[in-house]
Amino acid sequence: MKPELPYFEDLALGESPPDLIVGPLTTAHLMRWSSSTENWHKIHYDRPFSIEHDKLPDLLIHGSFKQQFLFRHLMGWLGANGWVWKVNFQFRAMNKVGETIRVWGRITELERKADYGLAHLEIGIENEAGLQSTPGSAVVAVRYKDGPPIAYPFVPPVS
Amino acid sequence: MSRFNDEVRSYVGRSSEVIKACDPVEKGAVRRYAQAIMDDDPSYGVEGIEPGGASIAPPLFPAFMFRRPLNTPDPLTERALDPDFDGLSLAINTGLPDLPLHGMALLNGGAEIEFYRHARHGEWVTQQSRYSDIYERQSSKGPMIIVVTETMYRNTDGDLLLCVRQINIRR
Repeated sequence: MKPELPYFEDLALGESPPDLIVGPLTTAHLMRWSSSTENWHKIHYDRPFSIEHDKLPDLLIHGSFKQQFLFRHLMGWLGANGWVWKVNFQFRAMNKVGETIRVWGRITELERKADYGLAHLEIGIENEAGLQSTPGSAVVAVRYKDGPPIAYPFVPPVS
Repeated sequence: MSRFNDEVRSYVGRSSEVIKACDPVEKGAVRRYAQAIMDDDPSYGVEGIEPGGASIAPPLFPAFMFRRPLNTPDPLTERALDPDFDGLSLAINTGLPDLPLHGMALLNGGAEIEFYRHARHGEWVTQQSRYSDIYERQSSKGPMIIVVTETMYRNTDGDLLLCVRQINIRR
């Protein structure tokens, strides 16, 4: 059964959306992403090049691939009741092929606006060893229980 | 010695032309992209959230549409025998002039993304980039130059889809 979509009134500081678990991410997953975006950087599919030439520990999961999951995580949580407006992140550490990643978030601020509420979140990606590779933040718009649907295309708050 | 100087800083504010992607938003390309990110949202196929039920692409799809057109040089073939070729020269072209930082490594430091609207199947997308900031920061490994490139992705009606501020590290 699908979880009920949250309204702004359901949110509380310190609470977390359900984690998104992705993986293990194999060479096939990495190659599929490379191919779909025509990204031929060898460090994602050519192991001898990655290790022997570029002196990396293994094939690396693309940063461009990881950022997709930051959006998927928040969009899956909010569904039609919200809009993922801003996502900021830093690539601080490498994730290697074969890892399973946990995409997480935590609400740090709640703001009421005229037509919807804004939830600010701390977000990140963690591997099985607890390495936080991609810390960041996000701002999402969330519908009020007695409010209108979020306008589409998204209209940012006035102030 | 630091490579950060007035010449490098003078690139702040320089913009590219408006560049049109070589293909429109294609149904098959959207399917492959959605399957690659393991997101089976039906809106990416036949049902849509747009008025009239138009099918759409995942939020970041427009940022990956700027690929090598037909009848342009193929670096994979041209550099097939170069043992140092890392494949990266096919990276998405922003249309901005190269910074005078030749020989310095380029690392993807992250991004700041604002999302306003999905690209629809069949629609054409443009991008326009500018150097929005360039500054130096000290790290444990010495000085590094932070280059922030802002790119606006729009459909051909001018509707803003995405704004991406890409943060690259040069050292």
